[in-house]
Amino acid sequence: MAVKIIESCVNCYACEPVCPSKAIYEAKPHFLVNSKKCTECEGDFPVYQCASICPIEGAILNSLGEEINPPGSLTGIPPERMAEAMAEMQGH
Amino acid sequence: MELPVLNDAPAAKGGCSTSSCGSTDNQMDSLPDSIREKVQNHPCYSEDAHHYFARMHVAVAPACNIQCHYCNRKYDCSNESRPGVVSEVLTPDQAVKKTMAVAATIPQMTVLGIAGPGDPLANPERTFETFRRLSEEAPDIKLCVSTNGLALPDSVEELSKHNIDHVTITINCVDPEIGAKIYPWIFWNNKRIKGKKGAKILIEQQQKGLEMLIAKGILVKVNSVMIPGVNDQHLAEVSKIVKSKGAFLHNVMPLISEPEHGTFYGVMGQRGPTPDELQDLQDSCSGDMNMMRHCRQCRADAVGLLGEDRGDEFTLDKIEEMEIDYSAAMEKRKVIHGAIQAEMASKRLEKAQKAQQIKEEPKLTTRPVLMAVATSGQGVINMHFGHAKEFLIYEASPDGVRFISHRKADQYCGGDSTCGDGESVLQLTIRALAGCEAVLCSKVGYEPWEMLEAAGIAPNGEHAMEPIEEAVMAVYKQMAAAGKLDEKPEAVRASAA
Ligand code: SF4
Ligand code: SF4
Ligand code: SF4
Repeated sequence: MAVKIIESCVNCYACEPVCPSKAIYEAKPHFLVNSKKCTECEGDFPVYQCASICPIEGAILNSLGEEINPPGSLTGIPPERMAEAMAEMQGH
Repeated sequence: MELPVLNDAPAAKGGCSTSSCGSTDNQMDSLPDSIREKVQNHPCYSEDAHHYFARMHVAVAPACNIQCHYCNRKYDCSNESRPGVVSEVLTPDQAVKKTMAVAATIPQMTVLGIAGPGDPLANPERTFETFRRLSEEAPDIKLCVSTNGLALPDSVEELSKHNIDHVTITINCVDPEIGAKIYPWIFWNNKRIKGKKGAKILIEQQQKGLEMLIAKGILVKVNSVMIPGVNDQHLAEVSKIVKSKGAFLHNVMPLISEPEHGTFYGVMGQRGPTPDELQDLQDSCSGDMNMMRHCRQCRADAVGLLGEDRGDEFTLDKIEEMEIDYSAAMEKRKVIHGAIQAEMASKRLEKAQKAQQIKEEPKLTTRPVLMAVATSGQGVINMHFGHAKEFLIYEASPDGVRFISHRKADQYCGGDSTCGDGESVLQLTIRALAGCEAVLCSKVGYEPWEMLEAAGIAPNGEHAMEPIEEAVMAVYKQMAAAGKLDEKPEAVRASAA
């Protein structure tokens, strides 16, 4: 049972100090979770600490591979709107 | 010889119309002496000092405990830097080395700030280790720190132990309703708290932190980001409250928001203020508060004096090779600082005398004019138009010359030679100077000359190496004599009436 950090992580360091199990470490190209150490915060906190401070939607997955913070849940930007803006940027 | 620079709006009160008789730092005249002494050589807080001294930032504490709608966390903290900038994150040890290397090479560097990316107090160990070591090893460097305020009350005790006499808090609101439109969430007591509830906690922590710092005798500056339609109407109240609690400066910065920054405001099309709107707000707050107009929203890792960035000389591998004898450097720095202070004192005196003279001259009745100036410091016009990365904006009026703001030449551009919409750097620069009727620099090339004229901005290279305020006043008088100030320009600034 462990969470996972994926490539959308922006290396902001926020999750590393808040993990009660010291499971998170700096790595290239992005931070990673040591799945042997991660306790999913069981016994320490009722919610995943890493996913409660992570600013990036979708960067941390639960043990089922689901996004703990789905699109729109943190920024408040509707996913369609984000997709449009991204498409526009690619056009440049 | 210099003309007065009025940082306050021309006063309508009777008697001495330039209420503080023209010294550049009259924004500070209302401050107690103890505070004035602390800030008068601080490049961020004293308008004339920022022509001579410099500050630098190091990024040691990248984590953040809140989200602001104008911040894309891929980049630096937008509270202190321009959006879209990435600083190299240093370990406390690297930061100490870099700071001492810069201080030894650029003696004008007097202030070190830790300002992100992220919130320095969300990572207190890294921030405080840096401060602890610098207080011991380089005691002639002032330290400052910028924070969103959430963790501030817990840090005040530790802050008061170091060489830290300046703290900047970014306070965008005092009303949780408004806060919820700026801060989508905070991380607090091991939980993410969204919306109004989170904003309320943040606001309470900011205000409590402000009060605790003041009680400890630590200087507090307040930054606010002006977001049209969200907090623009509200910031005058913020100004009033933070001043009543003892903050000594309030700095209103414009929201800079572009879709490609990927921020909430950028993507949702929230615009930033126009230079006019910003100036109107700064004018309306300045009656209430000492406003800092010369904040450059400098790059968090920029190194050097006004308008320059010597960061390339201090990359990690170069610092590694430098041998620094800091006690020798400190001796040298002391001598140079003394000379600069003497020069500043004599210029301040000249200004006061000139202000007296000007009061006795017959008064013009012409309208005020904005002018842009290209300078690399020392208070003189000494930069080529094409080399200027930023311009200083001054307002000339019958009451004298006052500093208004900095404008970045490439504020709207990523720095490439062309931007997405095909505008050249030159076009962007000219756009950044909108509202100015003249630009003073040491030289202007042929192409920009024509384009400036076409844009209604008179290029002027006749005052190279002259003191800024004097040159601006000379150009103003020339314009008045030529009858250019009788008719109104297309858009007259309401506040300048
Ligand atoms: S879920 Fe908890 S234990 Fe696992 S990495 Fe995140 S913070 Fe650490
Ligand atoms: S908080 Fe999120 S974005 Fe930041 S380092 Fe951790 S996983 Fe990456
Ligand atoms: S406090 Fe700074 S780093 Fe944190 S979200 Fe706001 S602007 Fe970004």
